[in-house]
Amino acid sequence: MKKLLSLMLAVMMIASVLAGCGKTTTTEPEASTAPEASTAPEASTAPEASTAPEASTEPEAPAEPMILRWGADSEPTGFDPHTVSEEASLRVIPQLYETLLGQDENLNYYGELAESWEVAPDGLSYTIKLREGVKFHSGNEMDAEAVKYSFERVLGRTEAGDIGAFGSKATYFGNIDTIEVVDKYTVKFNLTTVTSVFLSNLCSNYGAIVDPAVVKENGDLMRADGGTGPFKLDEWMPNNYVSVVKFEEYWDADRVKLDGITYYLVGDEAARLAALRTGEVHISTLSASNVQAAAKEENLTVASYQTSNYIAIGLNASTPALQDKNVRQAICYAIDRQNVIDIVFSGEAIPTHIIPPSTGHWSVPLEKYDLYTTNVEKAKQMMEAAGYNENNRLTLKVAAGLLDSIRQTAVVVDQQLDPIYVDFEIVNLESGEYVDVWYKMGTPEAGFDAMVVQDGSGTDPNRGIGMFFTTDGSASVFGFSNARVDELCELALATADEPTREAYYNECQDIIIDDAGKIGVASPMAYFVISKDLQGFVPTLADSSNYRDAWLEN
Amino acid sequence: MRNYIIRRIIQLLPVLFGISVLIFAVMKMIPGDVISGILGIEATEELRHQLEVKFGLDRPYIVQYLDWISGVFIGDFGESIRTGNPILPDIMQRMRVTAELAILSAVISWIIAIPLGIVAAVKRNTWVDRFVRVFALLGVSVPGFATCICVILALSLMFNYYSPLGFVFFVDDPMLNLEMIILPALINGFSISGSVMRMTRSSMLEVLRQDFIKTVRAKGASEKVAIFKHAFRNAMIPVVTLIGMQIGSLLGGGVIMEQIFSLPGLGQLAVTAINQRDYPVVQGCTLVIAFIFVIVNLITDLLYAFIDPRISYN
Repeated sequence: MKKLLSLMLAVMMIASVLAGCGKTTTTEPEASTAPEASTAPEASTAPEASTAPEASTEPEAPAEPMILRWGADSEPTGFDPHTVSEEASLRVIPQLYETLLGQDENLNYYGELAESWEVAPDGLSYTIKLREGVKFHSGNEMDAEAVKYSFERVLGRTEAGDIGAFGSKATYFGNIDTIEVVDKYTVKFNLTTVTSVFLSNLCSNYGAIVDPAVVKENGDLMRADGGTGPFKLDEWMPNNYVSVVKFEEYWDADRVKLDGITYYLVGDEAARLAALRTGEVHISTLSASNVQAAAKEENLTVASYQTSNYIAIGLNASTPALQDKNVRQAICYAIDRQNVIDIVFSGEAIPTHIIPPSTGHWSVPLEKYDLYTTNVEKAKQMMEAAGYNENNRLTLKVAAGLLDSIRQTAVVVDQQLDPIYVDFEIVNLESGEYVDVWYKMGTPEAGFDAMVVQDGSGTDPNRGIGMFFTTDGSASVFGFSNARVDELCELALATADEPTREAYYNECQDIIIDDAGKIGVASPMAYFVISKDLQGFVPTLADSSNYRDAWLEN
Repeated sequence: MRNYIIRRIIQLLPVLFGISVLIFAVMKMIPGDVISGILGIEATEELRHQLEVKFGLDRPYIVQYLDWISGVFIGDFGESIRTGNPILPDIMQRMRVTAELAILSAVISWIIAIPLGIVAAVKRNTWVDRFVRVFALLGVSVPGFATCICVILALSLMFNYYSPLGFVFFVDDPMLNLEMIILPALINGFSISGSVMRMTRSSMLEVLRQDFIKTVRAKGASEKVAIFKHAFRNAMIPVVTLIGMQIGSLLGGGVIMEQIFSLPGLGQLAVTAINQRDYPVVQGCTLVIAFIFVIVNLITDLLYAFIDPRISYN
């Protein structure tokens, strides 16, 4: 009897644990409230009026919905375009949201939600005429009020207050004084100061136009969808997949051929390669070494573009030994950038200083700087002059982490500095700790003399220089501070004339590079490994997640 | 029996309390914080402070702890800092995936391990025994993630096969669900079968050597009766202990397996939360995992009495 009782008890306990787990609490994100077309077959068989894609390559057949399958390496945190900044989310956000302006592959502006725009002669106001008849995914119409609300939300001027949007910072939209609704489809931005980067900032995700009703209903947009984009949020199963489906009422619906995109989380790189190989996913990212393996596969191709990210070595200005400019410059001289590129990036990167060449005319050519021509002999002499020799070597504690390329660069540079009496003591940090140390660099509390980082220059030097090198720039962490650079950046920001701005920023680059407190190494390519079935997808620096023209062949 | 169970459940409380204090302290001690993670490189001091206030991280640790633990008592684990979702429903949802994988893996491992362990013991020092020992050694010594990657690459290269991405629950589509979960379950099952097999073998060998088995055989009982009715049952106690521990850790989430096969289980939830320093989620996951461990241990102890009637909890 007791046996039986104990058995029953055991079974009941297992059952209760499992039952607890089994409570059907499927967290299907409320996604879009519009009921239609989450199952795409109907959508493709019954195209309403205006939405039949007439692309010649498209079979009109019923068949399966054309869903692009993305193998993502990391998990999105949410989809609020105004507060989220990490890559996995930023892949999805451009499908859901649009901005007033966009930038093409040559970084020229085109109207996205704006039909036209006009700058006042004094540069203090921008009048933007909106595209008419654009619908949000909720069915509400996008108008001047929504535009006004979107920017006020970023600036913390709505009832929600400060939402922690980085766009509220002075370098983005901080100088917006008032936003006027001129008429239903015209909006006017009045600025407090002239700024050269207003249009460029309108293209960032902080400039996304959101649906006021959806924000009010959900509090934020982390799991809700208040966009006008070509796709709308369908379902998000955390740690597994996010799916978006075609928005049938999209203003440019004829152009969109895909029925949807599903982003599957495939965290392991080998698994992503296998999934690409078998056609389980159509597109994914891989590291340089696996890209070469993938390129050999018959059904795969590699789409790449030069990023404006760059690997650099940041020297802690509070380390006494590094306060000697000659020591910093010697380190700069001794680095063989091509060697790093060959070993770490399998040749798929370009040498760079602190403003990568992909930013075009903003970047002063590398050849101009003698410091960036490898010269170990000279470096050695400089170090010897500073009192270092074989018996008195300089040991630097170096922080690395986050990315394989960062860790590997640290190791290769360590070897390159061996002849000039510099040794790295490399510590690989876990991501949270890495970020923590990064914040403290430039002070002794960091506990490190140097740090290998990968920074993003963006497309305008207002970010690449203003944010990373001005005294109170939010990403200026290594302790660099120069009054002239601060002044030049302010001048450049208040100037609309491009050649003048360029002259200001060129002078900044001369000063910063000569200081050698942050030493640029290499600017990597970004890759997408894509199935040959995927056509019409052309990633660019300004826009690497645009699938409006993409389709699947088979 | 009932008293025993009640006593054990009461003992659970200090254990869980200790764990809750420990995990809370550890989360506060490790470098890096959720706000740096959220704000990235564009953080300013004011913004950091604002978020600290918003998430209640500016309050003294003891207040934060008490706030959290008092919620836990009424089943409110709080909300994720990153997603704003209530934590308990999230954990329960993930538990469904992890529990399915754990149970399937465990059953597979028993099917492989126990018969082979018995055969190896009975046919000691024959080729069968040697084969089983090598097999068990492989199971124990080859890490699960290596097996996973080899299996994934081999299947993709040889059969152009990749297990389906996404996830559906068993109740929604049983076949698809099994297709998604069978590969990780087989690999997991193989990995853990090694130790069960060795334990079964050694335990059986020990029992088979004992006098009462000789007596059984001397009575003229068939070998089948001697092995299954008498020896096997007596050899089971250490095996059940081991299995209990394994199930506990399987239910705690096979992080690597879930990561490689993209299964949205408890392990992935915990690891993502750790990387993002999403304190309440990490605390919630750890507490639930600890709870499961303790419960599985209790069930294991109760099973002893069922297997061996000499053990009594009265």
